[in-house]
Amino acid sequence: MKRSKTMELGVGLFVLAGILGLVFLGLSVSGLNNGLSSTSFTLKADFADIGGLKKGSRVTMAGVPIGKVKSVELDQEWFDARVTMELNGELEGRLSEDTTAAILTSGLLGEQYIGLTVGGAPDTLEDGDVIHDTQQALVLEELIQQFVSNMASK
Amino acid sequence: MIKQRIASLGKSTLDTFESLGRATIFLCQASIGIPGKEGFHLWLRQMHFIGVMSLAIVLVSGLFIGMVLGLQGYTILVDFGAEDALGQMVSLSLLRELAPVVAALLFAGRAGSALTAEIGLMKATEQLSSMEMIGVDPLRRVVAPRLWAGFVSLPLLTIGFSVVGIWGGYLVGVDWLGVNEGSYWSNMQASVSFIDDVGNGLLKALVFALVVTWIAVFQGYDLVPTSEGISRATTRTVVYSSLAVLGLDFVLTTLMFGEL
Amino acid sequence: MMNDSQFVEVENLYFSRGDKEIFRGVDMHIPRGKITAIMGPSGSGKTTLLKLIGGQLYPDTGRVQIDGLDVHRLKRRELFRLRRRMGMLFQSGALFSDLSVFENVAFPMRVHTDLPEAMIRDVVLMKLEAVGLRGARNLMPAELSGGMLRRVALARAIALDPELILYDEPFVGQDPISMGVLVELIKKVNQALGLTAVIVSHDIKETMSIADYVYVLSDGKVMAHGTPANLNVDRDARVSQFMHGEPDGPVPFHYPAPDYYSDILNEGARP
Ligand SMILES: Nc1ncnc2c1ncn2[C@@H]1O[C@H](COP(=O)(O)OP(=O)(O)OP(=O)(O)O)[C@@H](O)[C@H]1O
Ligand SMILES: [Mg+2]
Repeated sequence: MKRSKTMELGVGLFVLAGILGLVFLGLSVSGLNNGLSSTSFTLKADFADIGGLKKGSRVTMAGVPIGKVKSVELDQEWFDARVTMELNGELEGRLSEDTTAAILTSGLLGEQYIGLTVGGAPDTLEDGDVIHDTQQALVLEELIQQFVSNMASK
Repeated sequence: MIKQRIASLGKSTLDTFESLGRATIFLCQASIGIPGKEGFHLWLRQMHFIGVMSLAIVLVSGLFIGMVLGLQGYTILVDFGAEDALGQMVSLSLLRELAPVVAALLFAGRAGSALTAEIGLMKATEQLSSMEMIGVDPLRRVVAPRLWAGFVSLPLLTIGFSVVGIWGGYLVGVDWLGVNEGSYWSNMQASVSFIDDVGNGLLKALVFALVVTWIAVFQGYDLVPTSEGISRATTRTVVYSSLAVLGLDFVLTTLMFGEL
Repeated sequence: MMNDSQFVEVENLYFSRGDKEIFRGVDMHIPRGKITAIMGPSGSGKTTLLKLIGGQLYPDTGRVQIDGLDVHRLKRRELFRLRRRMGMLFQSGALFSDLSVFENVAFPMRVHTDLPEAMIRDVVLMKLEAVGLRGARNLMPAELSGGMLRRVALARAIALDPELILYDEPFVGQDPISMGVLVELIKKVNQALGLTAVIVSHDIKETMSIADYVYVLSDGKVMAHGTPANLNVDRDARVSQFMHGEPDGPVPFHYPAPDYYSDILNEGARP
């Protein structure tokens, strides 16, 4: 029973490594720190069509991730999609009121995400505000249809 | 002739239910009761035999599986110009399926069979009986620490498997094949959910841990105490627990990810 | 029926394994503070009887009482508490193969007492000295000979000075010297502490020299019982055959089998 010191150490390291692994899975793999690292604030945006956008999709600005889509629901009144985004708290009060939101696609068939572009208005967006100037997702079928009908009409 | 068949079918069905019942009572008796300081030391010892000693095989397998995923995923995704999604593919397949299942299968082969043989040999050499006669319940002293050590070890091993696998995918995808490093991680972070993917994967690992360890210690405790009995029980441990893991994986996957 | 001078009472015990009836109505009274020997041909069920007394096997009918407690009616927890008051030397020794000799003997003390380490050490060394194996305390069971193994097991069985000790073949595999030592030891343990002992043994001379009372089992029943002096002069043919180790007589030496000649001639049959 005396040589159990190294054994205990081994088990301790094993458990510690497991916990560190879990932390790694949380922070680097699931990207939990985006939401946790600092305070966050939410913005909403209405889209006519969100395509394949889902809860958890990225929100970027100039290509840099700044948040995530928190929820997607149907607006029962206007029958468009109401997307709630959770953004990095540092940006609260710094995005101009005429900021636009567009649903973009990474690659031809890749993930869809939201890209925000700031405008020039002096007033800024606060927590819970709604972005009205939006650009819906490009849906491949519709593009092809348009293309085909353009060709036909020529 | 047919009558005999039906009778033997009925008997084997009854036998199956009977041993299931025995196994359940066994599990209850072994797992209740608060282990004291002594129990903690016994548990530590088993953590070493069951967990730490299985670490090498699990990590090496995880690394290779991650690398293969990186390679296979790349060749598929590159055709669609979507190789940026490699991180997402590698991590989701590992977290949701491969890590829990493969780690559990390796665990059944590495630790499960050893548990069965060890307990079986203790039974065959009357060590369990003599412990009973000393007034110590072998279910508490021999079985319970092993059960708990298995239950804790496998989830930890599964985490290790995932981490190493994701790193292996990174090694092949980013370092060798030139996928953009930033998009490997950011795509992964965008699509992996901590609760739904990491959490559900761990839940699977916990279920598998319970089932595999339970099968292993029960087979050891319940075997016919001869050399042949031990070898049969060891085989049964590996076969039953592999089947149980794969079957349960399907059931759990349906429950967890089925609505997608 | 319950008598304060009886420590163990076996009443009308029936037990069978599969189709084979091993006991068909055994009654036995084991007096408190005495050494009782159980003898009988090999395979007559002596080990089985000890396991029934220890509550490891359950009888078909009949009961076993130890100090007024019905062994087979106790709850699991109570049974384990009762067993702390017993020690058993297994026929195979049954040492814990992952513990050293020292730790094996210390085991009952470690699990059932809060004695300080120094005290445990003293007691263990004392018990090992008594069986002549103090020098072997750091060996593992796999490094011991059969006779040494059994002596360590004996030291472990008496480690806690239990009220009831069941010895299954304590003398097997011992040289004449250690045999003498063990006989003395068993006697001393019994006399000094007033413990109740049950000895199963084939060594008639040694057993008779220390036993206060003897039961002879045969054919699933108690064939004879009495003090050693009485049994030695018993004129029953079966008893005297057994007591004097004669090959021919009414006690069967063979495991039950069909007639020898017909078995030999019946060549085509299965083995
Ligand atoms: N596990 C078992 N399964 C089936 N039968 C058994 C088992 N153990 C013992 N037996 C049978 O029970 C009978 C009694 O066995 P037991 O070991 O009690 O004999 P014994 O009197 O101790 O013999 P010995 O003096 O050789 O040790 C034997 O006929 C044996 O065949
Ligand atoms: Mg015997």
